[in-house]
Amino acid sequence: MTSTRGMVEPEVRWPARYNEIPKEVFVRKDVFELELERIFHGPEWHPVGHEGEIPNPGDFKTFSVGRVPLIINRDQQGEVNVFYNACSHRGNQLETRLHGNRTEFECPYHRWLFDSSGNLAGCPNYREFKPGFDKRDYPLSRPRTASFKGLIFVTFSETTPDIDSFLGDIRSTLGEALGEDGRLRLIGYQRVTYRTNWKAYCDNDGYHAPLLHRAFKMLNWQGGKGRQYATRERGHMGFESELTAPTQVSMLKDNSIIAFEGVDPSKGSRVIELFPFFIATKHLDTINLRFAIARSVDETEVHYAFFHHLDDSESLKRHRIRQSSNLLGPCGLISMEDASVFHRVHVGNHTPGTVEFQKGVKTVDHLDFDFKQNDETGNLPRWEYYRSVMGFERVQA
Amino acid sequence: MTSPPLPLDLIDALQMRYFDALDGKDMYAWLDTFSEADDTSYVLNTFDNETADLPLALMLDDCRARLEDRVTYIREIWAGTFEDYRTRHFAQRIACTSAGEADTYNLRSNFCVFFTSDADGQSRVLACGEYRDVIRIEAGEARFLSRKALCDTTVLPQYLVYPV
Repeated sequence: MTSTRGMVEPEVRWPARYNEIPKEVFVRKDVFELELERIFHGPEWHPVGHEGEIPNPGDFKTFSVGRVPLIINRDQQGEVNVFYNACSHRGNQLETRLHGNRTEFECPYHRWLFDSSGNLAGCPNYREFKPGFDKRDYPLSRPRTASFKGLIFVTFSETTPDIDSFLGDIRSTLGEALGEDGRLRLIGYQRVTYRTNWKAYCDNDGYHAPLLHRAFKMLNWQGGKGRQYATRERGHMGFESELTAPTQVSMLKDNSIIAFEGVDPSKGSRVIELFPFFIATKHLDTINLRFAIARSVDETEVHYAFFHHLDDSESLKRHRIRQSSNLLGPCGLISMEDASVFHRVHVGNHTPGTVEFQKGVKTVDHLDFDFKQNDETGNLPRWEYYRSVMGFERVQA
Repeated sequence: MTSPPLPLDLIDALQMRYFDALDGKDMYAWLDTFSEADDTSYVLNTFDNETADLPLALMLDDCRARLEDRVTYIREIWAGTFEDYRTRHFAQRIACTSAGEADTYNLRSNFCVFFTSDADGQSRVLACGEYRDVIRIEAGEARFLSRKALCDTTVLPQYLVYPV
């Protein structure tokens, strides 16, 4: 297996038909390495946190994009920063905890000390350093950052377009999922490792929902009116659906799990998926941002962060906590089965050939952007963008 | 003045009934280890959330009705949709004290749960952590008024179908 810049061996032969995806891209280690270079280090914005996770001065979280470790913090002045999680001296990882609060970061290796804004505040024996050494030249390094309604993005490329261009038409739906004004506050995390490729994790569709998730059907919970769309540039996906949840379900003794208390049911469900694989959802009264890490070709770690809105009454906040805990995530009433499918899709993708999207396909000769709410074709614009940035040539029909 | 002896035999029997129910996937027997009181509760969470005062949980069954609904999720709603796995629960009693009220006790124990996936036959650690319980003796039998399972495991190795 030789992988040189921009090449994988053997070459991936991309099918001529637009609804087909070669299974090998889900399982080949050399393809994953090229994805790190072209996508995770490429000209894309990657959400790494929301300001509502770090509300107080000194609050921080750590996260990774691909294999690159990051610190996201709020400094003593209240500003949000993203630093590479590595000492500016010899590159030692600075912070190991997932989140916490600290006003300075000290590297244990040689005791270099950084303030919460990333400035080097002290380093032992600096008079014996290279001639002209100046502490001001050694702050923590930072990637480029951007923000949208409190959602914090990073990119490692100088050529990534500005955040508004990157998001395009998905902004309005994403804004709705972020509570319109982004004034959210963390209520907690659920974290899990899925034994699947990151692209299988993010192939989402409205076709499977009532079929796999029996809760939808058994609770007599049917999607109301709604739409699915994808942006032309990167294939970000948006689902906007009404939910007609019944107020009383005879199967359940506690109906609060499916109750609406905070929102108009006509805005009952929003699902946003940004290229490459960030997902935000608002189902009923839950507000959920899924920060995911592609750990390897066959491991995807997902941090489900749940939020309430700062204007919530105490009772609405309590309702969101009770609903969020049991509805979504790796043990959630309407989502637990997804995890099982992720793994089985990954096992199946080691077989030869292609996977074919079917539901909603009107032509296989070119991309089509007209989807019904329960079609699976909304994934195809993202796949076409993936193919183009990876440089995989489509074979002639 | 000496305090009355703790009914450790009844409390240990409750732990054993609880593990036997879960490892045997007998959800009615699991439910039967909890008190009939309306506010009886089962909470599964991480130390990560708990110590950061984050109120979310992995499973938040804060009333008897939610405990009964969890049995319905597993037996009826999720049936046939997931790759099943077997579990083995191990626990060590660490501390047991009177809770102040009559026949009511606080119990703390360490736990470790192994799971074996039906799909690949591999056995791994599902979660380890600590139980913090309030137990009451009702009609000669111990039952949970509340059981809180706090996991050291911050990133679960897979989805959870069953309580821990």
